[in-house]
Amino acid sequence: MTDPTSVVERRVVATSGGGTVTVFELGSGPILGVLHGTAGLDGPTAAMEDLAADHSGGGTVTVFELGSGPILGVLHGTAGLDGPTAAMEDLAADHRVIAPCLPGFGSTPDEPSLRSIHDWVVALSEISDAAGITGAPWLASSISAMLALELAAIRPEAFASLVAVGPTGLWDADDPGTDLYAVSLGEQASLLAQNTSTLGVLAGDPDGLDGDELIEVGVSRYIRRRTAASLVWPLPDHGLAGRLHRVSAPVTLVWGADDRLVPPSYGERFAGLLPEATLAAPIAGAAHLAELDAPAEVAAIVRLRAPAGA
Amino acid sequence: VNEHHSNAYGLMPSPNLMASALARSTDDAAIVVMGNSLALYNPPIRVAEEMAMIDGLSGGRLVAGFPVGTPMDTCFAYGMNPATLRERYHEAHDLVMQAWTADEPFAFNGTYTKLRYVNPWPRPMQDPHPPIWIPGGGSVETWEWCAEMDYVYSYLSYFGYKAGQATMKGFWDRMAALGREPNPFQAGFIQFVGVADTEAEARRLYREPAEYFFNRCLHLYPPFADPPGYRTEATVRAGVEGMVKQAADRAKAASGSSKPGASAGLSFDEMVDRGYVVIGTPTTVAEQLTEVATSLNVGNLMLLCQFGNMDRDLAMFNTDLVARKVLPEIRGLFTDEWEHRWWIKPMAADQRRSTTRTEVAR
Repeated sequence: MTDPTSVVERRVVATSGGGTVTVFELGSGPILGVLHGTAGLDGPTAAMEDLAADHSGGGTVTVFELGSGPILGVLHGTAGLDGPTAAMEDLAADHRVIAPCLPGFGSTPDEPSLRSIHDWVVALSEISDAAGITGAPWLASSISAMLALELAAIRPEAFASLVAVGPTGLWDADDPGTDLYAVSLGEQASLLAQNTSTLGVLAGDPDGLDGDELIEVGVSRYIRRRTAASLVWPLPDHGLAGRLHRVSAPVTLVWGADDRLVPPSYGERFAGLLPEATLAAPIAGAAHLAELDAPAEVAAIVRLRAPAGA
Repeated sequence: VNEHHSNAYGLMPSPNLMASALARSTDDAAIVVMGNSLALYNPPIRVAEEMAMIDGLSGGRLVAGFPVGTPMDTCFAYGMNPATLRERYHEAHDLVMQAWTADEPFAFNGTYTKLRYVNPWPRPMQDPHPPIWIPGGGSVETWEWCAEMDYVYSYLSYFGYKAGQATMKGFWDRMAALGREPNPFQAGFIQFVGVADTEAEARRLYREPAEYFFNRCLHLYPPFADPPGYRTEATVRAGVEGMVKQAADRAKAASGSSKPGASAGLSFDEMVDRGYVVIGTPTTVAEQLTEVATSLNVGNLMLLCQFGNMDRDLAMFNTDLVARKVLPEIRGLFTDEWEHRWWIKPMAADQRRSTTRTEVAR
């Protein structure tokens, strides 16, 4: 992989009730503002790429951004990211929420060269820098929480603090949890969230779409399931247990009480391996992606860890 | 012989073991290993070595098949990541072919396999290597690949020649689009067969084994059939298109349940009607197999004479009738018009080990 984050498609969501503005961002160094002409802008132009001196031809990452205040990095879970979630909107009341969509999870194209956990950790490191969330407090869920912890094990300054919702990455043969990929698609959705309508494009029967749109939804669902599965196949243990002692930033562990994929018992295991961990009480009525089932509760926990006035 | 894992009806985790036994218990038969699931061997050079040994043991009678492997075999029983399975498969194929054809030792720097020295001994008996047959399930990429590589495309469907028409047509359409000749010997197909002296006797003998196989052995827990990433994006797109089209067509036509895989609970008569099992006397079976071969334009029929809970006596009876009375009727198909360029090239018979000739040490 060259550099997946050399172009950032940044969709800034106005907080005053307005619409969405797409911002393309590439390169590093001093900031140069570029305003397009009459033809509009669909992506980086040749002149923009020329000016981005270190641009190395990588892909595009979509970043959703909303609110103002201290930066809060948000990393989505297994369902991917198609736009701001309820938890992001809640937190945007007093934070500048920046949420990149990881490659293959919906808004950002698939990147087949991401094969190993090492590939993914390098990619997340670059995405974090490009999106501007390095060193900020983070909220991360499921596979992204695992990747965030992997990144912090080799780059301790990755986040100032982490609220990790149902992180994958450990394996307990006595309490393995349900294999998400050994149940039907309908069951998969209900294992991810109690309220499956919050899964966005990943679940349900989309109404009002024509044939071509339905095909794209079907393909997008398949690709994000493929990407998520590849991170935990055939089981989610990539050796993280041996690296967690290197995570120096404080981590708050959050579980949906009804998480059957990564059972709440894993909270104790993570807490025992992390140098500075707080284990929150499991959230009743929430499944694996607790930030989707219980956005207000998760947002409240984030505020405890990353107060807006801090 | 084929490769399956954690599978109650395909008790053959290593087809190469079976092929080795066959190499020494048969004289003239081609030994079709169909085949080694390349991504499951680490390092895959093992496949080049073992197949070369079998080719040597058999005096050059090996056909080398390279399946991707079913999702159950590869992703669940053997824990392969479905997202990288095909890339791993193609890389392993390249390594095996290079190992069989390179004139000198070489280094192989793959994504999944890195070998500083590749220098396998022995080489295959057949020069430059055994014929390559690729088992496929109907994906566009496999048709293209077989056409480009000049390999045999074998459609391994259990659901008979009627359901196989669309898939084989897809292959021949791709071949035509690529300007390749429609040589039927570049295609293979599986067919269940049951032969007896009378039609009624055949139906009586093969009813239970067929029902046992299709309604019991083929039981498949649906989520195991489609781990995310096993299908290519193009195949997913085609499948979704198919479903969208199906939904659109549903209002118009009451669709028949001819979908492959929808066999649970089928009666024996339905299995026969749909062509899952070709049943009859030697004459009627030969006629039906001629129809199978010509309608699909397939020159390599893999006939399954033992299936389901068939006992040894019935399996031998069926195999014997097929060999003595059916095969002579269909063996010459296509040979006037086409050359079989994908068949084995064994050593001369008197140079090979014989199961009947006494070998005296000099």
